[in-house]
Amino acid sequence: MDFKFLVDTFFVALSGVPIALIITIISLLIALPLGFMLALTRINKIPVLQRFAQVYVSFIRGTPVIVQIFIVYSSVPLLLTSLFEKYHIDKNVYDINPIWYAFIVFSINTTAIMIEIFRSAIGTVSKGQLEAAYSVGLTNVQAFRRIIIPQVLVTALPNICTATVNLIKATSLGYAMSLQEITLRAKVAANVGYNYVEAYLDIFLVYLILCSLVEYVFKRYEKRLSKYKTAHA
Amino acid sequence: MLEIKNIHKSFGPNEILKGVDLKIEKGDVVVILGPSGSGKTTLLRCINFLEKADQGHANFGDIDVNLNTATKKQIHTIRQKTAFVFQNYNLFHNKTALENVTEGLIIGRKIPKAEANEMGKKALDKVGLSEKYDAYPSELSGGQQQRVGIARAVVLNPDIILFDEPTSALDPELVGEVLSVMKNIAKEGTTMLVVTHEMSFAKDVANKVVFMDGGVIVEEGPPKEIFSKPKEERTKQFLHRVLPEDYIFYI
Ligand SMILES: Nc1ncnc2c1ncn2[C@@H]1O[C@H](COP(=O)(O)OP(=O)(O)OP(=O)(O)O)[C@@H](O)[C@H]1O
Ligand SMILES: [Mg+2]
Repeated sequence: MDFKFLVDTFFVALSGVPIALIITIISLLIALPLGFMLALTRINKIPVLQRFAQVYVSFIRGTPVIVQIFIVYSSVPLLLTSLFEKYHIDKNVYDINPIWYAFIVFSINTTAIMIEIFRSAIGTVSKGQLEAAYSVGLTNVQAFRRIIIPQVLVTALPNICTATVNLIKATSLGYAMSLQEITLRAKVAANVGYNYVEAYLDIFLVYLILCSLVEYVFKRYEKRLSKYKTAHA
Repeated sequence: MLEIKNIHKSFGPNEILKGVDLKIEKGDVVVILGPSGSGKTTLLRCINFLEKADQGHANFGDIDVNLNTATKKQIHTIRQKTAFVFQNYNLFHNKTALENVTEGLIIGRKIPKAEANEMGKKALDKVGLSEKYDAYPSELSGGQQQRVGIARAVVLNPDIILFDEPTSALDPELVGEVLSVMKNIAKEGTTMLVVTHEMSFAKDVANKVVFMDGGVIVEEGPPKEIFSKPKEERTKQFLHRVLPEDYIFYI
């Protein structure tokens, strides 16, 4: 075991954390509202949209993330090339930072997971809450913002936490798109002297620390949000 | 002050309300009686647009709306003039007692928070919950929750408060505290339309009793008349079922 390499590479792996976090955050920012709205279309049985949401969820959940990555990473550049040619845009698709493909794949993937999480969470809030909000003169938007969504979030939070941790871990698959994230950086460092054991140990540690931190933050937030549930005297 | 005309409502093939007319004056306490499934809840819900009637009008003196084709704005206006007390309270779980009461003031009516809090505290004092401003619904008994529900309606100072069986989800020993709160606000001149099975409330507090059956109003009149000499056979049978044997004679 090469300890100096172990320590040095730990920091190399650590330098991939921002990329993993940016992908996670962007995907959540897109997936949370979109997933919520698509979940509503399923609950309110909005004709075409609810069917779309249903098919979408089963497609995404029925296929491995790595395959979704391959599909996006191989098809989107082709699509873009023909688009660029058609509109005479002078840009090489292979100059595009792979992080954009990561945003696409992980947003698509996380949205499907959020639809399912919100669908069950919204189901736990009774219709009476919405009716009471209407009866005191709140508009639809106000009722959702102030009464429904806060309650849905509390119920959904443990699942959103799990989904977020899974998402962080899944960003390690970004190496398949030559994305400079945690796993790829450490692996590249190991290529030089074949110190793979040390590198993998570092990767292991970085994900462990990162995910534990995220879980801790969620638990704290959950406690604060749900004080009305546990407040029992 | 409130006049409802010809409300019709069907769920699928079942016609639940078959043309209901009702007139309520300012300060009236009107109690609706009737067997289960007769459409009492549906009637209240149609008035507050929680259910969309197939046909019918509501006239609030200064505004007349078609209950079927009302615009969003009209619905909002009517909801500002009415308040609803639910059978199972429906307090906002994520808000304290005081926040429950002030929500409609601050968000619905845009009243400044400090002023709304004063009004909310007064309303909670009135229903005997001065000690419970900061309690969440999960920390309150059913009777206390329903009193918050009543305070939440009263604080809006609506033209009329609609009560849908406000005591029927409560343990028997908690019914009294809620009924006495309702009695108090009735005394203050609040206009109330109350669906209840509490005959004592109908007898002592109401100035008009309406008997509904099968989606129509069968009979209406002052409680004395309805209880002691009902005209319609259906009313007689219903009262016979829900009142103790010789109750009628002692009114
Ligand atoms: N949303 C709905 N969809 C279908 N049917 C409904 C709906 N709401 C009410 N009904 C039906 O309408 C009828 C009248 O219901 P409603 O709740 O108005 O009666 P009620 O007089 O309030 O009875 P109770 O005393 O039991 O509360 C019932 O047969 C009920 O099954
Ligand atoms: Mg009912």
